[in-house]
Amino acid sequence: MTGYIIRRLIALFFVMVAVSALVFVLMNAVPGGPFSLGERGYTADALANLERKYGLDKPLATRYVNFLTGALQLDFGNSFAVAGNPPVTQVILQTWPVTLQVGIYTITVSFGLGLLMGIIAAYRRNSWIDNLVTLTATLGITLPNFIIATFLLLIFGFQNGWGDPRKWIIPPLWEGGPALLSWDYFLPVITYALAPLALVARYTRSSVADALGADYVRTARAKGLSDSAIMMRHVLRNAMIPMITVLLPQIPNLLTGSLFIEVVYGIPGLGKYFVTSIFNRDYPMIMGLVLLVAFFWGLTYLVTDILYTLIDPRVRIAGRGSN
Amino acid sequence: MYRKMSVILLCLSAVLMLAAVALPIAGAQGANQDIYGRDLPADAAPYDQQIFTELCDSTRTEITLSSVVSVYQRICGDTNIFDQFGDALVVLDENLNLIPGAAESWEASEDGLSWTFKLRPGQVWSDGTPLTAADYVASYRFMVDPANAYDFVWMWQGTILNWSEAVAGEVTPEEIGLEAVDDLTLVVYTNGPRPYLPGTVYFWPPLQAKALAEHGPDYVLDPATSVSSGPFILKEFTAGTRVVMEANPTYNGYRKPFLKEMHGIYGDQLNGSFLAFQNGEIDRVNYTHISPADFEVIAADPILSANYRPNFGDFRTDYLFFDTYTAPFDNLQVRQAFAKALDREAIVENIIGSQFGIAAYSFLAPGFPASDAEGALKPIQNYDCEAAKALLAEAGYPNGEGFPAQELKLRGESESRAQWFIASAASISQCLNVEITVNNMEFSAFMEGLLARPTTVTFGAVSYGMDYLDPSNMLGVWVSTGRHSWRSPEYDQLVNDANVLVGDPDTRTQMYKDAEKILVEDVGGIFLVHRIQGDLWQPFVAGECFRPDRQGVGAYHWGNDWCWGSFYITSEVSNFDTYRG
Repeated sequence: MTGYIIRRLIALFFVMVAVSALVFVLMNAVPGGPFSLGERGYTADALANLERKYGLDKPLATRYVNFLTGALQLDFGNSFAVAGNPPVTQVILQTWPVTLQVGIYTITVSFGLGLLMGIIAAYRRNSWIDNLVTLTATLGITLPNFIIATFLLLIFGFQNGWGDPRKWIIPPLWEGGPALLSWDYFLPVITYALAPLALVARYTRSSVADALGADYVRTARAKGLSDSAIMMRHVLRNAMIPMITVLLPQIPNLLTGSLFIEVVYGIPGLGKYFVTSIFNRDYPMIMGLVLLVAFFWGLTYLVTDILYTLIDPRVRIAGRGSN
Repeated sequence: MYRKMSVILLCLSAVLMLAAVALPIAGAQGANQDIYGRDLPADAAPYDQQIFTELCDSTRTEITLSSVVSVYQRICGDTNIFDQFGDALVVLDENLNLIPGAAESWEASEDGLSWTFKLRPGQVWSDGTPLTAADYVASYRFMVDPANAYDFVWMWQGTILNWSEAVAGEVTPEEIGLEAVDDLTLVVYTNGPRPYLPGTVYFWPPLQAKALAEHGPDYVLDPATSVSSGPFILKEFTAGTRVVMEANPTYNGYRKPFLKEMHGIYGDQLNGSFLAFQNGEIDRVNYTHISPADFEVIAADPILSANYRPNFGDFRTDYLFFDTYTAPFDNLQVRQAFAKALDREAIVENIIGSQFGIAAYSFLAPGFPASDAEGALKPIQNYDCEAAKALLAEAGYPNGEGFPAQELKLRGESESRAQWFIASAASISQCLNVEITVNNMEFSAFMEGLLARPTTVTFGAVSYGMDYLDPSNMLGVWVSTGRHSWRSPEYDQLVNDANVLVGDPDTRTQMYKDAEKILVEDVGGIFLVHRIQGDLWQPFVAGECFRPDRQGVGAYHWGNDWCWGSFYITSEVSNFDTYRG
């Protein structure tokens, strides 16, 4: 197993290099640059000075090699578009904690509630509970979260006037932010959680329903096992494989934030930079974030593969013990 | 005994003397007084509630709180949170006259080749260092230094002596035409007579020379290093999250604030400003962040509509333009046909709204110096569909036949403003029977295409508003070295000559008028609308700033930054649910 993990991590490294090269070329090919700002545009001298200052006057290949050299030391360069031009690493370290915090709450809510709703719906197929879960899932998947956010803000933030109107400005817990279970997190987390909750509920319902109809469950019932024992030992364990395949990749998305959630609720997190850095042509930030996400996704798929082997003994790491 | 009494009396005297000295330092702040010891206006809310908050855009590129470091990347750039840490040399009053800012007077030399600014005595930085002419010199040298890659260098190119050469790295920043003759005297040397120079220095509060040398330009972003010679000083700053400024107790300038603090909070500025305003989270919304649906809400509410204050803003005009160097728009008759096919009055009436704009037939908005107040230029581009068809036929495209399909490119306009240009394209298309599609491009890509030579924007739409109150600024956009692919040697000559003409303001104005007539006749642009801008203010924000100008308009507008010394929160705030609690 250790050798497998090491091989996968080495492969991940090369994937990240390939991704960085692709994104580097693409972002430089997009029309417009970080200094296509203002109404009159820049004079040629001013543009030349800016390009020199930010190292954009060098050939593309040189810039990429410089970037790669820095990236190996976790130095992605300095942001073009954040106050004071701080290093990208610093921006990520400062803003990611609050995104992680909201993301962890979102995962807890969406996976917890989604699993529960899915299991209940599978057990009570075609009942009103099942219909309610299906309706919630459909709404969660079809309604974009910026629409949900706006409505929730209108109804709860504005019309009901819940508490201090500035509560939507959320600093991280460990920087004097609101309490662990503060209402301040309620609207952002609900908004953010609705789509993954819907996905979790749908897949759980489907996987559990399939497992419930399987022969081994009938056998277990015939052996006189209780419902809870059947659920824990047989149904959930077997339902896990398809659920892991679909649900685990949701985690990198949720832990890296969302532009809409963060901008609408004023959360000072990392998520907005995934979009604004592209619009602002903040090249170092784009590269830093792309590598962060690529690493996260690679890691998630590695964890997914390892989990397969833990949950289902029939699944074996390639090259070991397969028949 | 006597000795003991003497000691006690001596101690008491010392305590009283210390108190007498300390009180003025502390501002002798009374019950409802500001930190300068002034009584707040009679209808003012308690001093603790004198807080003014604006919503900043979470998605902007922004790196500094000082225009000396960057203009295009200012923090909270669409608000008045930046540039509060100093005073520019001059400022505008409500009638657009230049009035003293940090400088109490200014005058040109007899030969017109230099301007001398005299600073008000007694101005200090918050660390006790006197504000001197050397701070302004250091700030302008910082801007011109190629190493600092300042983005707004065009402002003084061809104006301040050696400025362009320093930007290009041909001379050192120390060689530009700025001199601190003494602590209170700043002399600016120009390339020739530049009558408009004082107007170009009105929004550049200085950096402190000492802090700049010790900490670099980002000293303004850290409360530990930030110093201010302006009305506010930095109290708290978290990039992209929050800016808090408090009244500067050492400020001795012309706009001492009644406000205790100014806050910048972050959110969805475009779509969320009106909601935040209704929620009592912010105190002002600019018209660009109010949607047509929001305006309907405002119009239906007597309190909101009474507090929407229209103003001329930066005299912004929206217009369509061409690449006149290539076919088919190299043909004047084609351009004239397009101009006469645009039914501006109908678009303003039905799409834009007459309260938000005036149909434009020229570039300079009414009220701007040298503008066509008499409407003499109106007949040139006036809507006349039959004449437009005839012109297009004469150009070789009868009934639009054979005319190549066109794409009208927009510069990342909001949904509502894009409708203005979609309607414009429809008006031209229907009249001339030509095919026009509209492409609302991303801002950066549009600007790159516009400025490319040859340009990639054959047919586009954009707006422009003033940077300083002189026709040299607005009309400078259209000279052949400007952003548009339109050229007229006569126009260039008139504008360039007028820019340096001193001593005969009437002739100078007429030269600009003549130049604008050439622009309209040669259809460098098709002028659509002069915007009527505005801000929605909370009903509890008051101040001298809202006194009517000579047109009877009472509003904050571009350039009258003295207003920030006049605003205060009235006791009416207690009737509203706001962040003040």
